[in-house]
Amino acid sequence: MKANRSLWRAALCLAICGIAAVASAANKHDISPWAIQVEPVQAEEGQLPADFSVAIYEDVLTQLVKSSRFQRVYRSGDRDAKAIPNLLVLHMVLLNFEQGNQTERAVTTVKGATKVQVRLKIAPRDGAALLEKDVQGTVRLFGENLKATDALAKRIAKTLRESPLSPPGSTKTAGQ
Amino acid sequence: MRLLRENARLVLIPALLGLFAPGLFAQTSDPPKTSGVRAMHVLGLEGVKQKQHGTLTVQAGGLSFSGKEAHSFLDRTSIASVFTGAESRQTGGKVLTVAKMGIPYGGGRVLSLFSHEKVDTLTVEFRDANGALHGAIFTMPLGQAAILKEQLAAGSTEKASAGGQQ
Repeated sequence: MKANRSLWRAALCLAICGIAAVASAANKHDISPWAIQVEPVQAEEGQLPADFSVAIYEDVLTQLVKSSRFQRVYRSGDRDAKAIPNLLVLHMVLLNFEQGNQTERAVTTVKGATKVQVRLKIAPRDGAALLEKDVQGTVRLFGENLKATDALAKRIAKTLRESPLSPPGSTKTAGQ
Repeated sequence: MRLLRENARLVLIPALLGLFAPGLFAQTSDPPKTSGVRAMHVLGLEGVKQKQHGTLTVQAGGLSFSGKEAHSFLDRTSIASVFTGAESRQTGGKVLTVAKMGIPYGGGRVLSLFSHEKVDTLTVEFRDANGALHGAIFTMPLGQAAILKEQLAAGSTEKASAGGQQ
């Protein structure tokens, strides 16, 4: 009886270890050979408040560093990035911005959502785009309006994590 | 006895003056410093946690944020642009949010109508020594952001005019 119990325990331990290994393997993603430089959001004047623009830029940088998808993450204007051969540039163009109201959200629970939608484009410094996609971040119920930028940044990082980016040598450059 | 008192006065007054004199000189030699504004760091400053409260001060050299745990200073020459804005937010944080959810018959929603405040936002774009673009956001009581922006702008023009005269 005792031997049976210990056998069951051993089997259970093995099963748990297996599940954990599979889960960690699923979470692991390949580190791309590219480095990335993030440019601020492009928007028409008055379309996006400055705090949202800065928050998107900073949150995207934070999420990309956290994702460990790229060799290195550079900020816009960083002189060190000029010398990097395998550099992708992330451009974001604002498509839609709706500023909600936190009180309205708390009172009605259905109104007052803040939405921000951007078109992200990833391309080598002088090459054709490797990826172009529309991504949206929303805060619907809890949290301040700026939380929408955090949601957007997480989506952008997820999109980049899940997108297969062709290796540096295989991309066509615009001049060719 | 009277002689002793007069002697004591004669000794004490110069001694006290001597004690405070260095302080007076120190104050006059310091760069002019404006009074700080209580502010919350939303994001962007390296080494300072998000949502940390502290004092935001415009100094002769730039913008300084002093929190309980960390301190950060932005040199005036590194600041590219400053923007102000206003925002309405719910007060009470997560605790009140959870408490409001627990109030029956929609009482929490009614409470939400009264538990909000308007704040100013100050957004600063700056570049580090490597030319990389950074952005920092602060929130502060209503009406303070415009004052800070004016102070920053005034300092810049003073510096520019001083540079032009040289």
